[in-house]
Amino acid sequence: MKIADNQKLDRRALLKLTGAAGTAGLASMAGCLDDPSADDDGEIDELTITLSQFPDTIDPLDHITGDFFDVYDHIYEPLFDFEPGEGIFPRVVDDWEIQEGEGATELYLRDDVVFHNGDDLTAEDVAWTINRTVDPEMGVISDIGSFGLGSIEGAEALDETTVSVEYGAAPGLAEFEFGNYARALDMQWAIDNHDAENEAISGADPEDFNGTGPYEVVDFTSGEEIVLERFDDYWGDEPPFETVIFNADGESNGRVNSLRTDATDLTINILPEDVSTVRNADDIEIRRVTSFRNIFCPMKNTVEPFDSQEFRQAMNYAVDNEGIASSVLSGYGEARGQPIAPGINGFNDEIEPYEQDVSMAESLVEESGYGGVEIELTVPQGRYLNDAEVGETVADQIDQLENVSCEANIVEFGTVSDANSAGVDPDVIEIPFYLIGWGTITGDTDYGVQGFFTIPDNEARTFDDEELSDAILESQQIEDPDERRQQLEEVNRLAHEKAPFLFLHTQESIYGVREQIEWEPREDESVFIWDME
Amino acid sequence: MTMGKFLVRRILQGIFVIWGVITVMFGLRAVSPGDPATLMLGEGATQELIERVREQEGLNEPIYIQYFEYLQGMVVGDFGYSWRSNREVEAMVIERVPATIELAVAATIVAIVIAIPLGVISATRRNEPADYGATLFSLLGISTPNFWLGLMLILVLGVWAGLFPTGRRPVGFGQAMMTLVQYGSVYDLLVWLQYITLPALTLGTYFTALITRLTRSGMVDELGKEYVMASRAKGLPAVLVRYKHVLRNTMIPIITVLGLQLGTLLGGAVITETVFNWPGLGLRLVDALGARDWPLMQGIIVFIAIAFVTINIVVDALYNYLNPQVREG
Repeated sequence: MKIADNQKLDRRALLKLTGAAGTAGLASMAGCLDDPSADDDGEIDELTITLSQFPDTIDPLDHITGDFFDVYDHIYEPLFDFEPGEGIFPRVVDDWEIQEGEGATELYLRDDVVFHNGDDLTAEDVAWTINRTVDPEMGVISDIGSFGLGSIEGAEALDETTVSVEYGAAPGLAEFEFGNYARALDMQWAIDNHDAENEAISGADPEDFNGTGPYEVVDFTSGEEIVLERFDDYWGDEPPFETVIFNADGESNGRVNSLRTDATDLTINILPEDVSTVRNADDIEIRRVTSFRNIFCPMKNTVEPFDSQEFRQAMNYAVDNEGIASSVLSGYGEARGQPIAPGINGFNDEIEPYEQDVSMAESLVEESGYGGVEIELTVPQGRYLNDAEVGETVADQIDQLENVSCEANIVEFGTVSDANSAGVDPDVIEIPFYLIGWGTITGDTDYGVQGFFTIPDNEARTFDDEELSDAILESQQIEDPDERRQQLEEVNRLAHEKAPFLFLHTQESIYGVREQIEWEPREDESVFIWDME
Repeated sequence: MTMGKFLVRRILQGIFVIWGVITVMFGLRAVSPGDPATLMLGEGATQELIERVREQEGLNEPIYIQYFEYLQGMVVGDFGYSWRSNREVEAMVIERVPATIELAVAATIVAIVIAIPLGVISATRRNEPADYGATLFSLLGISTPNFWLGLMLILVLGVWAGLFPTGRRPVGFGQAMMTLVQYGSVYDLLVWLQYITLPALTLGTYFTALITRLTRSGMVDELGKEYVMASRAKGLPAVLVRYKHVLRNTMIPIITVLGLQLGTLLGGAVITETVFNWPGLGLRLVDALGARDWPLMQGIIVFIAIAFVTINIVVDALYNYLNPQVREG
């Protein structure tokens, strides 16, 4: 019996020891595995950035998504530097000259720029890339072409380093567009390896990327991670980090956890409710900026009750957008009364947000003749800062009106996106009232209004009004910058008055960043490594 | 029924199930709101572009023609192209399979390593504190939702204690083994272990609780049988009787459940993969759902269905081989 007891004790002791050793082994893993991103002196040499969406297309022209630009701009660098509110500056394009009266601008390229595969950059590459972006017949139907380069008609190489860009609008507008969206692909590489004149570039290998940017791709795992390293033959200044890794996590709290556990150094789109978590943690901090992204609820005026200007204005008076910005967004937003944000060319300083006035709203509803109407607000979830909560609050405040009933319908973003591009044909419209956001990243009002309000050749518009459309079209032809800005301010005044949207707010961009990294976020939401130290 | 006939019948049934899954998926795509062409082109595409894409993709064809063309593609292994990335769906599915298999196998190992000893202890010490503890653990394990457990593990062991990373998979098992074999370094293996521990615990907890219960009840049944008493009376040590004779007899239903659960784990890791940003099939499925990338969604679900059906057939065949009563019945 005694022996048996001893054996039992031994077995238990062994089990305990094994368990303790296993736990200690697992627990010590974190300590054993040194952080490879830091040098001995603590300098960060490897930077990890966690986005909210990993690029699911590798063709740099086949998207118009901020997260994708954050990655691709380091591989396929912009031809110009763009500073919000200031304009464009030389980069790959050394200089440029407007060809008066010809609807064209000549771009003069640097002669020392090479692609990652060693090919020299030529004017033909730039012209071909611009043409591929704007021509849907050339390999890819590019949203960048439809939206970003909307007024650009084409480009032509004049010699080895000169490109002529042709456009159908005023030079100022064209400059905003190509200054933001023009990139360069290696024409021969793209055609030979990817049949890029007939289809989108696709693949899952580092060799499927070839730009002129300061970083080249060394490892790519589709949907997971893209690893960039400094490009040794880059023409410009050496970028600050040897290695940059981009990955993604669709959840704000997941991104914050990565930041807290040193798995990442910078992350975007942090929700207000996660801000205090970052603030309370060591070595990381919140950085924020009022972005160029406005949040609003379009009201399609070809269907009842939104065909009444009084009713649309009533919706604006019903909602306390200042209160929403301060409570639902915890102050990470500014109430707005026009389609675009401050700092954008054409922003009208004199327009204040609609101030909540319930009795005014109720009397405007009566004037419209739609008293007692029931409406539904369709709201996406997870796309913008606290979008579902914002939408529910808006619907609730409208529902407080005695003569309107309103409910919020929370859906996937795709449903709202479909609604936004469904046009204004009353027989087709299923969702006339929805919440959406738009970032006017070119820094020019035109980009924030033309897709929504212009009528000719714009099946996807959300509002049908000749006066507003004409005002925008007129602005596109004005060459004098001051005169054009005044006209854009008038466009914004008209938009405020006609209330094609229930105007809500300009949202802030909230980033979580390791304290060591010197970097200030930009209004246009771009994340450029070369701005960091 | 011979083994051959049994297998043929099960394979035919499996094909019918897979066809059903394909058809239901296609039906859902057909009735779901939203125009595929608009989804492909993104926000604000012009009507002209939308029409062109509809023509290119055959979306203007009658629905039954689209269905038969799709079915034809599936039969020859052509799952089509992702609407978003323009890549072959087969490639996008296959590249995520290793991560999901790693997670499913790790969760199964967690379950076996914890559940079987726990079940044995619980059965052999009935109505003692160890039994109460094991029963409580089983109850909690079965009742705790995956996503909550995952978040708690992230919070406690990842964020507060700082012991484990909170998500992602920087290195795969294959690469870790390559590093070990080529360079004799365990660094990658440790990194892999560090990253897979929390997801495997999360995914494996329900399974652990289930196997613990099965082991306990099976052991309790067997321990009451006469051969156990005879063995003890013959003078065999209690440990030998429990582990060599009783546990072995208990293992048949446990192995069956293990096999079937492995199939469930392959398809059921969606929540765990999402919580831990683990780049397997589940996470890709969620991404595809968000982007409404129907070809990719269909490809993943059909793959999961094929895997599930195949594992079921293999388990049935094994069970059939081990227990001829099934075949005869």
